[in-house]
Amino acid sequence: MTWISQSVTGLGLLFLAHACYSAHEHSVLHSTSAASVSSIASQGIDTSTIASLPLDISIETVAAVFTVCLGLVLGTPGLRPIQWRVWAGKIEREGEKGFMNGDGTLDKDYIGNPFKVLESRPGFVDIRKQRKEFAEWVREGDSAATIPKN
Amino acid sequence: MPTERELQINPIVPESVAHNTKTLTTLRNLTASLFGVGAGILGLESYPGFLFYVVFSLLTSALVYALRVRGAETKTYFRGSMELWTGGLLEGLSGFVLTWTLFYGLVRA
Repeated sequence: MTWISQSVTGLGLLFLAHACYSAHEHSVLHSTSAASVSSIASQGIDTSTIASLPLDISIETVAAVFTVCLGLVLGTPGLRPIQWRVWAGKIEREGEKGFMNGDGTLDKDYIGNPFKVLESRPGFVDIRKQRKEFAEWVREGDSAATIPKN
Repeated sequence: MPTERELQINPIVPESVAHNTKTLTTLRNLTASLFGVGAGILGLESYPGFLFYVVFSLLTSALVYALRVRGAETKTYFRGSMELWTGGLLEGLSGFVLTWTLFYGLVRA
């Protein structure tokens, strides 16, 4: 995605630079030729014809501006839903994949699942199992402590 | 504007609002300078230049709507549709005038 936007923007900038150069050359050429014509013939020259740009340069400029604009829009990161239910639902469904940047890294302000606390809280604790595990751990500790002494 | 009761029922994620606003503001500032370059090359003066800016800004909003909102409701991503279509229009105007005058002077020097 990101290389598409970059190449489109680069192409548009290239066209824009070309249009800018063409417009500059046109104005320079026109002013010198108009000056020579006016010095030779000393006739009144319509200033509006000097100022007007050839149609192809105008079209190139507008097309270049539109192309760069398209590239910039393509390069923007995706928008995020602002309603809590839509946003949380997107995280539930897509996880981290929905919050990637254009270059495949995770956004810096991605905070993860808002319901993580609910999912990792202890439900019903099996206290007997825990006591058994604790007893085994104590027994292992005893044997481990006593074996090296023997 | 939504009332407090509606906000309690349908809460809003401030991080997402900030992210969307930041994205749109960055795009607006970049494109405003770009439109200034275009207007300067075309040699627009007075009202046509500002009209150029408004038209292309709306075009940018339309592109965002087509490529980023993708047919979903505007309310999903913004608090109102005005935020997408006209938000940041005045903020980008200074950058537009800056590059507009610069390139007008450069091309017609």
